[in-house]
Amino acid sequence: MKVEIDGLGLRYGETAALDGLTCTLDGGKIYGLLGRNGSGKTSLMSVLAAFRRQTFGQVRVAGEPVFENRRVTRRISLITHTGETTDIGTAEDALYFAEWLRPDWDGELARSLMDAFGLAPKAKVKEMSTGQRSAMGAVIGLAGRAPLTMFDECHLGMDVPSRKIFYDALLADYMDHPRTIVLSSHLIDEVAPLFEEVLILDRGRLLLQEETPALLGRGTTVTGPADRVAAFTAGLTVLDERRLGPTVAAVVYGPLDDARRREAAGAGLELAPVPLQDLFVHLTADPAGAPAAAPAGAPAAEPSGEPR
Amino acid sequence: MRFPSRLLVANMFFAVLLWLAALAVTAAIAAAVAVFGDLDQSAWEKVPQIARWYALFTGVALIREFLPMYIAHGQTRREFGGHALVTALLFAPFLGVLFALGYLIERGVYALAGLPPVLGRGHLYADTLQFPVVVAEHTLQFAVWLAAGTFLGAAYYRWAGGGVLACLPVAAGLVLLAESTVGGDLRLPFANRFGLGLDLAWPAAVLAGTGVATVLAGLALTWPIIRDVPLRTTRA
Repeated sequence: MKVEIDGLGLRYGETAALDGLTCTLDGGKIYGLLGRNGSGKTSLMSVLAAFRRQTFGQVRVAGEPVFENRRVTRRISLITHTGETTDIGTAEDALYFAEWLRPDWDGELARSLMDAFGLAPKAKVKEMSTGQRSAMGAVIGLAGRAPLTMFDECHLGMDVPSRKIFYDALLADYMDHPRTIVLSSHLIDEVAPLFEEVLILDRGRLLLQEETPALLGRGTTVTGPADRVAAFTAGLTVLDERRLGPTVAAVVYGPLDDARRREAAGAGLELAPVPLQDLFVHLTADPAGAPAAAPAGAPAAEPSGEPR
Repeated sequence: MRFPSRLLVANMFFAVLLWLAALAVTAAIAAAVAVFGDLDQSAWEKVPQIARWYALFTGVALIREFLPMYIAHGQTRREFGGHALVTALLFAPFLGVLFALGYLIERGVYALAGLPPVLGRGHLYADTLQFPVVVAEHTLQFAVWLAAGTFLGAAYYRWAGGGVLACLPVAAGLVLLAESTVGGDLRLPFANRFGLGLDLAWPAAVLAGTGVATVLAGLALTWPIIRDVPLRTTRA
């Protein structure tokens, strides 16, 4: 499902959670929605799922506005850690209503996921541990098979094996039933392998939108003697620099073509890819009250790999 | 609009469980009174004093639990509003029937024990065997408490405690008016002590119409609050 967001704003009183955000998701992919706390991820997904109405701007899903539009909303699912879909009695009760309200519900998948997560159908959801409640949300979200499915930190409290079950189940079901999935998470290294495209929000605006391989290709760590690193990185966007004795490791942002790579090798410099999580940290670093990679107040721009 | 079968069935199922529990507790209390004192009144007659609070909390739960679930499952607020309305309008008579059945069971037990089926307060009915009138009175009673519950539940969901405080006088007024149309004794906290009961000497049709209008007003007042209510995305 194609998602078009144009100049989207959401205010909570005096606080702007979303501030003129513009982007387009072509759909049929797993998107990673990243951002620091308060960057607007939950607010964006809340508007996309018609949990709340935007203050200004437009959101269209499959070409139609979302809020109170049944044709669209019934094809959208947002699973949060707040438990809207699960805190309704027992696990069985939650499945009972999900089956009734979700047009694409797969009961067999739900049962197999319940077994995989070790969830008891008769257990009261509100009495479950945080991880079990999150697993319930994952079951509802995956078995709902909504053409636009969003998970907002829905792995909160899950232990490592449960998170692995979730990632594996999500990927397997996505392969069998391709749809648009948006994952918001702070466990970036864990979920990064799932992402086909990444959006990074910062202070209610789109900082970056890029396909994952291309984004990863833009970050490079240049390690070597300080003077040679300085010479090599002159004119490049340096996101971070660390020094250990005479050696410096600089994280540069932007593509390095073959000539530049040969130049680095010739200078005895080591080039290494930057993990998505590190790249995210550098791009959203806020040492002086302004985004590191974007001039303060810069307008949200077209989707591209350039940080804005 | 799809019929809200599962919403209704889920609430009815729970109500039947509570009804069975209420029968058991009432029987135990009546037996204790009969053994240790004089059981000279209907024990089941006292049940609505608690059952109406259950109706109120069912109304609150409709908004607090089921509205977010509906929205999160891709339904609109309008669809939920329709389902909640149908559920409220069918669930209240269901409670009324359950309550009237309780009277019939009690009547049988009292007859076997040779006890008098005396009512302790004023009602639209003079005898517990007047099944339709018993159902009508208590349907109206449960309906207005249910409506007040949805109204207060919506106020709480949207504006938290301040909303409840602001809307409480309206909800209490609705309950007071509807209860006054079906009986002479409110048995509400403070109501009798401060003479808050309304003594409505109106014709029966006017009283019934007023009661029904009060219920509908309570449900109608809920809609403007939930029609565009944002879902909470932080845990309360």
